[in-house]
Order: sequence, then C-alpha cells, then structure tokens
Amino acid sequence: MPSPRQVAVIAAAGSRKTEFIVTEALAYPDRRVLLTTYTLNNLACIRERIYRKAGHIPAHVTIMSWYGFLSHHWCRPYQRAVLREPGVLRGIDFSSDLPRFVPEADARRYFCNRAWDLYKDRVADFAVKADAAAGGAAVRRLEELYDEVYIDEVQDLAYYDLDVLDRLLHSRMHLVVVGDPRQHTYATNQNSKNRQYRGARIVDWLSLRADVCAIEPRTVSYRCNQAICDFADALYPDLPTTTSANFEVVEPTGILMLSRDDLLGHIEACGPAVLRHNVRTNTLGLPAINFGSSKGSTFEHVVIFPTAPIRAYLRSGDPSGLAAEARSKLYVAVTRARHSVAFVV
Amino acid sequence: MSPHVMDTGMLRKIVIHNYRLFRDFTLEFTPGMNILVGDNDTGKSTVLEAVNLALTGRVQNRLLAQDLSPYLFNLDITREYILAVQEGQGPEPPDMIVDLYLEQSAATAHLKGRNNSTDEDTYGLRFRAAYNPDFAVEYAAFIKEPDNIRVVPAEYYRCEWMGFDGNAVTARSIPVTVSVIDAAAIRLQSGADYYLQGIIGNNLTPTERVELTRAYRSLREEFARNPSITEINNKLKATPGDVSDRELSLGIDISQRASWESSLVPHLDDMPFTFVGKGEQSSLKILLALNRRVQDAHVVLVEEPENHLSFTRMNILIGKVLKKCEDRQVLVTTHSSYVLNKLGLKQLVLLTDTGGLRLSGLTPSTQDYFQKLPGYDTLRLILAQRAILVEGPSDELIVQRAYRDIHGALPIYEGVDVISTGLSFRRFLELAVQLQRRTTVVRDNDGSDPAEVAARYADFTVHNFISVRVGAAEGGNTLEPQLLAANGRAALNEIFGTSYVTDEDLVKHMTSNKTTCALAIFESETTITMPGYIRDAVA
Repeated sequence: MPSPRQVAVIAAAGSRKTEFIVTEALAYPDRRVLLTTYTLNNLACIRERIYRKAGHIPAHVTIMSWYGFLSHHWCRPYQRAVLREPGVLRGIDFSSDLPRFVPEADARRYFCNRAWDLYKDRVADFAVKADAAAGGAAVRRLEELYDEVYIDEVQDLAYYDLDVLDRLLHSRMHLVVVGDPRQHTYATNQNSKNRQYRGARIVDWLSLRADVCAIEPRTVSYRCNQAICDFADALYPDLPTTTSANFEVVEPTGILMLSRDDLLGHIEACGPAVLRHNVRTNTLGLPAINFGSSKGSTFEHVVIFPTAPIRAYLRSGDPSGLAAEARSKLYVAVTRARHSVAFVV
Repeated sequence: MSPHVMDTGMLRKIVIHNYRLFRDFTLEFTPGMNILVGDNDTGKSTVLEAVNLALTGRVQNRLLAQDLSPYLFNLDITREYILAVQEGQGPEPPDMIVDLYLEQSAATAHLKGRNNSTDEDTYGLRFRAAYNPDFAVEYAAFIKEPDNIRVVPAEYYRCEWMGFDGNAVTARSIPVTVSVIDAAAIRLQSGADYYLQGIIGNNLTPTERVELTRAYRSLREEFARNPSITEINNKLKATPGDVSDRELSLGIDISQRASWESSLVPHLDDMPFTFVGKGEQSSLKILLALNRRVQDAHVVLVEEPENHLSFTRMNILIGKVLKKCEDRQVLVTTHSSYVLNKLGLKQLVLLTDTGGLRLSGLTPSTQDYFQKLPGYDTLRLILAQRAILVEGPSDELIVQRAYRDIHGALPIYEGVDVISTGLSFRRFLELAVQLQRRTTVVRDNDGSDPAEVAARYADFTVHNFISVRVGAAEGGNTLEPQLLAANGRAALNEIFGTSYVTDEDLVKHMTSNKTTCALAIFESETTITMPGYIRDAVA
C-alpha cells in the first residue's frame, strides 16, 4: 500500500504546532499555500507569527478563516448549483437562529436569510452540497489555486466541516492538518451531522481515513514541565503521553493544592495568572481569565479556581466524571503554565 | 511562483446584456489583433467600453458603481419595462450585465466559477447592475405613477463587480491590465493628461512607482524645509490672529492625493505634452501603451487610431502597432479601410446586434490582395447593405444614374454602394460571401458569350444573395456601344454636345473620353434608356 499523502499532526499543548505549520508554509516559496483555522483568535496568531518570521505575508501564502475559506472557495463560486441563481450570495449570518420548518428542498430559505447571507451553521453544509452538485468543481478549482492546504486547530472542525475535510483529504492538494483533540472549542452549533466525532474523537475520524492520511503525534511540550504534562495527560488516558522539554526549574513547581489562606502569599511570591470557569466563578475579587479565553496563551504560573466537578476529579483522579467540555477546558487551563499550577481548594 | 508569462490572448469572450445598444450580445475574441468594424451606432465603442468596464469597473473613467446612468440601459428593454409597468404587469426592473470570459492561466485561477450568463465553469469577471430590494419602499412609490416613468430607476440599483467565483473583485484579483487609447477623448487634469498619466503609471513596476512617490515626497519635504519657507512661516506666526486664534503656517501637502502623477508633466522635445499637436499626442499614447512589459497580461483597447492623424503618420503608426502587438491582445475599432487593410482582414470582426462576423474564411491570397491595396475601400463593401460591383468609374456613374432613375434617389442614400473594382470581382465576391452581403456584379461581355461570362462566377452565384449581370451580345462588347444601342446616336450627340455622323465615331469618342461622357449622362436632364443588364442590376 502506498504511504498516505496527507498528514494529521496530533499535537500536545505547548508543542509549538502553530510554529510548525507557519515554518512549513513559509519554507517553499514555489508552493502556493493556504492556511486556515476555525477561530479568529488563532488566525490572528498565525498572521502575527508570519509577520514576525517573514516581515510580511509572502505572495505565495494565503490566510483565511475557516468560514472565509468555505464561503470564498466553496459556496460562492458554485452557489448556482444549489440556489439555481448566480451571484446572489452576500455574507454570513452569525447571529440569527436557523429557520424552523423550512425543508431542505427550499434551498434559498433553508440556507440563507432574507438578505442572502448564509446561516453560520449551514455554511459547511452548503459548501459540501455545492461541490457535490457541481461534480466536485470546487475541489478542482482549489487544486488549480493551491499546492498545499494547512488547517490549524483541526479539532474545532465538526459536523459538515468534516465532510469538507474529507473532500480535501481526497484531493490532489497536499493537506496538513494540525490540532490538539484535547483543546476543542465547544461552539454552539445546531447540526447533528458527525456529532460523534466532536472534540477528542476527531482522532477516531482521522483514523478511519488512515489510507489517505497518516497520523503523526507531536508529543514534546516546550512549555509545560513534566509534572504538568503528566497531570494533563491523565485527563486523556487514550492519547499518547507528553514529554516535557522544559528543563528549567523555577519555584514553585508542579501541581499544587492551595488553601485560601495561602493564596495571597502565593500570588505575591510568583505572580501567577488567575484562571476561572466563567464570570460567575467567585475569585475572591482577583482579576481572572476564563478557561476558554486562555487558549493559546503561555504563563509562568497559573492559579485555577476549580468548579465542583474539577474538585471531585482532584479527589478521585477519575476523568470519566468530567464531561467532554469541562475536561477540555481543564486541560487548556492546566497546560497554560510553564512551571506550576495551583488549585484553590 | 514563477511570473506568469503572457500569451497573446487573455480575453476569450464577452457577453453583454441590456447595455447600451446590446440586448443580448456575444463576441468571441481571438488572440492578438481584433479589429471591430461596423457602421456608426453598431456599438464598436460599446464593446471596448464594456471590456474596460469589466476590467476596471469604470466607464469613461468614472466608477460606474457611483455613477450609474439610466441611459446606459438598452433602449428596447427600457421601453418594454416601462410599458409593462404602465400595463400593470409588475415587471422586475431589468438588470445590466457584462461578463468578460478569460483564458485559463495561473493568474485567472481564482476567478473560476459558474457565476456567469452561460453557466460555464470557467474564468472571468462580471459587472452587474441590478435592482436593490433594499429600496422596496421607494420603488413602490416610484411605480405608483407609471405615466411619469421615462427611464429605468437606476437610483434604486446596486452595482456588483465580481469574478465568476462570486467573490467581489479587488485590485489584486484583476489579472489583466488594460490601456484605453481614445485619441478623441483628451481630458486635462492638473495640467497633465489623465490617460497619459495612467499609461505612464502602468509602465512602471510597483517598486519604481514607490520609488518615484518617495522621491517626489522627499522633494516636497525638502521644499518645505527651505529657509525661505521657514522665514515666511515665522512671519505668519508673528502676525496677530486677525482671523483665528490658531497659528497659521504654509505647508506642503504630502498626502497620497498630492502625488507625482498630478504634478509631473511629460515633455516631448522639451515641450509640455499638452502643447504638442493632437496627432502626435495620439500616436505617442498608442505607442506608450504598446510598449508595456511583455510578461504582463495586458490588453490594449484602441479607439479609431485614424483620428487626428495625417496619412503619413498613420502609416508609420500602424506599422508600429503591428510590430508591437505580435505578443499581446489588441482590440481596435476603425472606420478607415486603410487601417483595416493594413492590420489584416482576417482579424476583422463585423459587429451586429447580437455578435460579430469574422472573415477568417477568406483565402490567403485574397487577404493578401486587400492588404496590399492601400486606398481601396474594402470597408464600403463591409458597411453597405447592398453592393453593386462595376469595372471602372464610368460604369459607376452610369449605374448610379440608372439606380436613381428607378428608385428616385442615389444608391448611397439607400445603403447601396456602387464600387469600382477593376477586374478583381472575384476578390470582392469572396468577401461578400463571408459577409452574406447582397451583391451584384455588372460587367461587359468583352466579345464573349454573356452566358459563358456569367458562368465564370458560378461558384459565387450559388448563393442567392449574389448575382452577375453581363451586357447582352447584341448591345456590343463594352458599356459605350451598349449605351449607344439603347439610346441611339441622336440622343447621345445631344447629351454630349457633339455631332458625330457615324456610330463608329461616336463610340470612339466615348471610349476615349469615358469618364467625361459618363458624367455627362449622369448629369443629363434628358431621359436615358439604360441597357437591360444595367436595369436588371439596379432593380
């Protein structure tokens, strides 16, 4: 069997995966490259890194958000295949609820609001339908435009996004997807398609396509020390374990349990970032960052105000008590720290 | 990415709906030269305008999106729309579309999609003006008074400029640059010619442009630092605030707007460009446009290059155009058959309401023949509704007279052109077949059997729009004996003011004064009896 053409890099937190794809994308100026990712935060991150490395965005590199990619390269060129009319699509409607009781056959109302904006949750669905109805023309068009496609934070793709990904995997372009299944952003989405592959299960989905896509673990964390890696790994016992490449020792170090009485002293000693579940968490008046928003950041030390399920996990050590979303957020929070994570208990 | 190497054709096809003269118009382009020929008001300029619109979003240098005139809409569709409104049919306001199809290349790949008139999955640009439903309330009020509607309500329209990929066009996404050369439209802006600025600007690489801008800005900054300016500003500062409490000083505008383009004036032999003759300006502009770097995908649109040019200068210019355009796509409109002949009949496109006719079917030797005839009026055949081909100027005059006798007007007023072709009937007939032009040949029998002479054109007369009339054997070999036979010696003697006593002498006189005699007959008040073959020809 020929070796698979496409690559999925399953990376641990702090393994410099974004750095990796930016380096790869910039390496060959004769290859036309598209870089895309789901969240605007991460997109900004990629853009900033490219500027830092190259001083500008080179002409062979195109950066687009995932929605921009779907809309620009899938929906709009072949909108006629679904809507029967050319040139009518406008933007994307990120705020309206999906219309109820509209059958899919009524494509115009099923996919678009009155102003011809695509409903956010139906963009990927539309993209797949347009490509299918146009006989794969959208993928062929992309093949003319790009030699390589890089998708960062692939674990954020879900539902019909995965059908788009499937078409890309089987295209003539070279596809590199990078992600950490443990750091899934749970955006609300009203689709049910591919529900079983959300978050960490993206690895299962990719494994089913091993003939076209090789999975490469990237298990060295340049951020977290070994104690933090071990604690984070324990949340996902099925995934490969992480090795730390952070050999610096800065006190305090490792996973700490902190009483409220010791909190102020700790904060004075090491100036940690304070992380919380959400705005309703009582952080004793300390300024704090939500778990979700901390994604992508690095701190020397972190203090976490645990939720009740997290406190239960700290006692039992059994991650099955944590719901997928809670587990993912805890993983993100813990892996922000280079040296120490302190839970306020 | 390797730089895109230009082949000679970037534009493949244009489809126009409801724009000016064109209701539904499709024209395929060929690589290299395309010469658009047509009568006035057949839309030669409109085709160039539409190409330019699709590539720049502009008409006559103004962004159409900001300046959509209802008079750009096709008159027929406007009339139909108004009628339908008045009859209460509630028609949708008509839209206007220009679809410019491009060849496949690395530079056009992103413009691929199916957002075009023909539902092709291909590369191209689309400009569309369509009713904007955001104005539903205003529009409802507008159609409440149907009798006041004179034009399409363009104020309730929006313009979209997109690729066939359905995405809005950006400056970077246009893969083809275009130069419009219209010698007649010379606009002045801040002392320099707008077109020329554009052409010069296009000749520079982005780096060169940035350099020039920077050099110009530092020149201005230096000027601002000049001691005399500082001194003036110090004086102004000292002036008590008569007008305002704020401090007044003189500065130089170094913003983007105040750029070198508006201040630099090109000179020809040290003379500012605008003071040079129009003809020179015109040819210089054409040459500048043609001199662009070859690796660019560049289209040149030339509007009637014969304008403002002397014959000699035009001859030189056409030679240069030919040489420079070997490797790029050029669309030229022309009225001049000289230009047409020189540039090559094969590239000729005769415009109709719905598209264009090409003459690529001509044999090479016939193309060559027309190309070598410097002053010959090929265009006359192309532009006429009907042509009558005769041997020489005397035949031409007689046929004109015959036509006027029967129809009451000279043929030219009825779109019928009488053309002297010498003995090259076959060349013209070949052209007439391509054009499907109603054409009649009038010729002498030259002593042969008329039926046999006519049979020589059998390969053309298979077309029902081509006929050949040959003088009858009993009338004589040529035009002169034919006229004599039809009218008699006395009548002709009277017309010519002569008194020949034998037919032989009269024919000799006529033959040695062909044109003079023909002119006398043409102008004569007397009733003339025309030989039968001529009468048939003008019927």
